[in-house]
Amino acid sequence: MFLVGSIMEKAVIEVTSLVKQYGNLRAVNDISFEVYEQEVFAFLGPNGAGKTTTVEILECIRPLTSGSAKVFGYDVTKRDEIKEIKRRIGVLPQEFSALDKLSVKENIDLIGGMYERKHSSLEVIKLLDLEDKTNERFENLSGGLKQRVGVAAALVNDPQMVFLDEPTTGLDPKARREVWAVIENLKRLGKTVFLTTHYMEEAQVLADRIAIINKGKIATIGTPQELISQYGGLKTLIIRKGGRKLAVALEERYDGITLNHAEDILVRVDNVKEMWQVLSELTRMNIERDVEIQTPTIDDVFLKVVGGRITEEGELK
Amino acid sequence: MTKFVIIFKAVTKNWMRSRSGLFFSIMFPILLLLIFGAIFGGQAGSSAANLFIQNLDRDANGTATNLSASFVEALNSTKVFALRDIPLDADAKSYARDALGPLGGNIRILIITQGFQDILTNGTLKVRVGISYSTLNITYQFFEPYLNDTQKLAFQQGLLGLQQFNESLPGGQTSLTLMLDASDQSAATIKNIVLSVANAFNYQLIGAKNVISFNEESVTTKRFTAVDFYVPGIIAAFIMTNGIIGLTTNTTEFKRRGIIKRLSITPLTKIDWIVGNVLSQTLLNLMLTAIMIVVGWIVFNAQVIPDAFAIILVFLGSVMFSGIGMLLSGLVKDVEAASAIGNAIAFPMMFLSGTYFPMEFMPAYLQSFARILPLTYFSEGLRYAMISKYSEGIFASMAIITALAVVFIIIGSLVTRWKEK
Repeated sequence: MFLVGSIMEKAVIEVTSLVKQYGNLRAVNDISFEVYEQEVFAFLGPNGAGKTTTVEILECIRPLTSGSAKVFGYDVTKRDEIKEIKRRIGVLPQEFSALDKLSVKENIDLIGGMYERKHSSLEVIKLLDLEDKTNERFENLSGGLKQRVGVAAALVNDPQMVFLDEPTTGLDPKARREVWAVIENLKRLGKTVFLTTHYMEEAQVLADRIAIINKGKIATIGTPQELISQYGGLKTLIIRKGGRKLAVALEERYDGITLNHAEDILVRVDNVKEMWQVLSELTRMNIERDVEIQTPTIDDVFLKVVGGRITEEGELK
Repeated sequence: MTKFVIIFKAVTKNWMRSRSGLFFSIMFPILLLLIFGAIFGGQAGSSAANLFIQNLDRDANGTATNLSASFVEALNSTKVFALRDIPLDADAKSYARDALGPLGGNIRILIITQGFQDILTNGTLKVRVGISYSTLNITYQFFEPYLNDTQKLAFQQGLLGLQQFNESLPGGQTSLTLMLDASDQSAATIKNIVLSVANAFNYQLIGAKNVISFNEESVTTKRFTAVDFYVPGIIAAFIMTNGIIGLTTNTTEFKRRGIIKRLSITPLTKIDWIVGNVLSQTLLNLMLTAIMIVVGWIVFNAQVIPDAFAIILVFLGSVMFSGIGMLLSGLVKDVEAASAIGNAIAFPMMFLSGTYFPMEFMPAYLQSFARILPLTYFSEGLRYAMISKYSEGIFASMAIITALAVVFIIIGSLVTRWKEK
């Protein structure tokens, strides 16, 4: 798979040894990565990890301290090349906001008016399923709808790449899933998406590749599957209501058996072969119980790589 | 469409639809104009000063003597006073106090002393006799060398007789008593008006004519009222607050909410953003100017007439105060600080720049301070352009405001951050 990838994938973002220094604080500390065309790339990390700083350097609104950053081959530090970058990117900034007294359409027209090549605002409104809110004032929209207006505005210049900085922070679960649907749609449209988030599930559900970032450093980078198989640890077979007797019986043959308070037996399995062994053992013992396989998640990867978890508010603990 | 036009349209629309923006930029100045106009507008008959009169000069039947009645009539004809009678037997002060009530304002009493007519008649006779004596005496001095002794004696006897008669006439008696409250701000004015009437009365009685007469004329060609003073002043003051308070808080709010950042990600340049905002301020201020003038015309019959210079001045003022607004919003972080610093600068400037009252009323050190305030030149310029049409004044203020506008808009642009740190 890696081999196929390297042939097919074209880097649209190339970051090399990027550093951003604020006084004594090194917000971005020597990071290098690439983002490939048409993939959803996620920066996953707690608040203050350097996600937004990096993204804003790529959006050409924040100067870098050292290293290099190229978007579509254009250097973010060169005035003439910045124009080329700005033309090709769409951005949903963190905590997106717009002019309160203007309607959805007027706000999108405002952003669209800044570009030469653009979609009509009605096209992007339709794309984001905002048609019945076209003439609604921005101030009257719910948080989820405001984010959708933000995405619509990000798409108005028909960008090749879209930056979504914390697109679901502060949204309720329903609105969050609506935004996820929008991002999946962007992928179908062939856009490259650069997503930052502190929600594990969001990165796992949406991203083709995830970079876990903490304290200005990229801790690890890869597809969710790669990360999980590398850091996620063993799979777990859960035998519902297995009971103590069975647990003791299994423990004679297998390591890593635990019994939880609901009388479920958790069996840690290394690989598929071991899993089948356990299952056939159960068949042989004529035990009919519900069996589930629990695979590790990005949560487990993050815990392993960073050594902590992220709260709902984005803080590392 | 050019980008600054798009910005201009968007921020203008956003402002026009905001009730609080509309209130502070348009409604509030109109309210102020109505209040100031009503208080200081000098509408005739609106407020005559109370003056109590107790006429003690009565004849045997108890009716007022001819001369005292004429004097009261003369006071009445000035139309300055609302005259009220105090009965003969009442104590003047307590009567006036009771009549006015606790909140009735200042007590002013004029008492016409008993014998007013006699004193005046005798006084007039004394003056006339005195004049006759002095005329005869001068004549005597002049012709003395040509007169024989008999003629001289006759003259001398006549002169002596006149002199004796004059001395026999009573004179120098008080015939009027004016009682005024020490805290009464109008006291000096009232005293002068009563004195003038009394003098005119005296002249009339002795048959003298005014040698020096006044012909009052305004230095401007038309007749202007206080409202004509306020209209350009309030326009200037609110163009100032629109820039220093309105634009500052708006821009800070846009900055806080990331709206400016969102726009800076697009190909929009900082210059386009600033030009769009300045144009929006200009439009708003032209609207304010038009509405204020129309209100002045309709409500107060004001005479102000805007011309091309006034429009240019409004534009230059908008640029200058937008520049200051941009400068302030570049320096502060949150909206509360922006509003606090905006108010701290705008309000003292508003009251010290001769906007609401002429600068001559202020002590000298405040006048010199006012000379460094941009609003001083702006409201002066607008007054010249709208009222006196004094072209040297217009050009001088225009030159100063243009220079300040250039300076502030450059500094304002420099401190406006278009990139993050």
